[in-house]
Amino acid sequence: MNKVGYAVELNDVYVRINRSEVIRGITIKVPLNTIYVIMGPSGSGKTTILRLISRLIDLIPDVEVTGSISVLGMDALRSDPYVLRRYVGMVFQTPNPFPHMSIYDNVAIAARINGVANNRDELDRIVRWALERAMLWDEVKGRLNDYPHTLSGGQRQRLCLARALAMKPKILLLDEPTASIDPVNARKIEEVIKSLRDEITVIMVTHSPHQAARVGDYIALIYSGTIVEEGRVKDIFLNPKSEFTVKFLRGEV
Amino acid sequence: MHRIRVIKDRLFTFYVVITSALALIPSLHLISVIILRGVEVLSEAGIKFLVDLPPTPLSTQVGGIAPSLLGTFMLTAIALPTTTLIAIFAAVMNNEFPNNPISRILDVTLRSFASIPTIVVSMTVYLLVVIPMGGYSAIASSIALAIIALPYAYTIISAALGQVPHTYREAAYALGMSRWMMIYKVIIPIARRMLAGGILITMARIMGETAALIFTAGRFRTGLTLSPNQPVDAIPLLIFDYALTPYPVMHKVAWGAALILLLIYLITFLSLKVLVKEVKL
Repeated sequence: MNKVGYAVELNDVYVRINRSEVIRGITIKVPLNTIYVIMGPSGSGKTTILRLISRLIDLIPDVEVTGSISVLGMDALRSDPYVLRRYVGMVFQTPNPFPHMSIYDNVAIAARINGVANNRDELDRIVRWALERAMLWDEVKGRLNDYPHTLSGGQRQRLCLARALAMKPKILLLDEPTASIDPVNARKIEEVIKSLRDEITVIMVTHSPHQAARVGDYIALIYSGTIVEEGRVKDIFLNPKSEFTVKFLRGEV
Repeated sequence: MHRIRVIKDRLFTFYVVITSALALIPSLHLISVIILRGVEVLSEAGIKFLVDLPPTPLSTQVGGIAPSLLGTFMLTAIALPTTTLIAIFAAVMNNEFPNNPISRILDVTLRSFASIPTIVVSMTVYLLVVIPMGGYSAIASSIALAIIALPYAYTIISAALGQVPHTYREAAYALGMSRWMMIYKVIIPIARRMLAGGILITMARIMGETAALIFTAGRFRTGLTLSPNQPVDAIPLLIFDYALTPYPVMHKVAWGAALILLLIYLITFLSLKVLVKEVKL
């Protein structure tokens, strides 16, 4: 892999789904090992950007993508998506741990598939490490063989976070990870995200300006498939250049 | 206003209870008649009913259904795995590769099988398999049974795989799983309970089918064979044939055989219920 200054670069990217344009000429550069927040109202195309980076957009029928996307120096649109995804972990808006696997197996499978652990001892270490990083270890260490339905919604989302971390990804995509969980668990997840700064690149989608301010290094505000404003968190919050940004930050949009 | 709602609710509950009862009564009646008549026969014949040959028309002994029982197990052992494997493959293709031409061909072909009368399947297999092979056989019968059971297996298994929420597919892909790994490690295990139900219904269809065997099985009731190239018998075929005879002893055998078939379903159903746990989402 090439040594790059940016983890992800989108250049003039357009996405059409069923001939309807959902992303319109977006250009984004995500610096390595930072927390980059994509913020915007519902339906503005935030999740589509994450799906582009992970190539999960391939699962949508009748989709057309133009422009260029570089992920860790790889041409994301032309790379093998299965190879690309091994560097890119993802946590979804609704917790989706595999219901037929135990808590242990949910985390272990990520490490196994991606060759992170080669034997049982290594696997045990990785599972523990991932659950600790997701601030879940203390709550589940005595019941690793239980199934995820025994966990609360917030714990399940942290399990998904642990599963993504067990891949040892270079980039972690988070699609509104706290949207469907309680404030206490949301805070824990934010703590985990902040602890990852300087280790991996985190790209997080949120519709909450407060969360963006608490967690992010950089922000891109998008609306209707275009970037309204992009920059460092402080700059966006203290000196917003666009009228739309001001309204969004005030919660008027 | 509140009272009207309560009355409406009670009327609807009453309607549901009555229609459910109407739907259940014929089945319960059938099951209870089979049990009552069958138990009578089994208590007379004892365990020999499972291991003896059937009686002659003027026999005083009930005898047994050993050739039919063995034949049913043999046909199920050949037809069920074949049908299930083809149905799972077709269902996976239909769910995961819906635009692939193979998926479309499989979908149209398997669904169209359901509209073919079973006796026509039996005659077709007679022409295409029995005559070229030079005689009736378990293989010919299994082919006919598989053709008849495939649309059922395919439809249920396809529905089972389709009911797995899309979010687990996304999670699997996001972890770097390939499509086939996702199907094998995530989709099939999550759908296992409904898959098991589909396999059970397929098994019931195979074990209970009669017309498919008329031109293919050969009604071999004078001995026991495990050769798939030889004629066989099956419980439903025996029940059908014996019920049409005027001999009381053969009617008895038919009732006993019906109870044995019912018990086989029940035991398999209960075993699956215990062994295959439901996945709680």
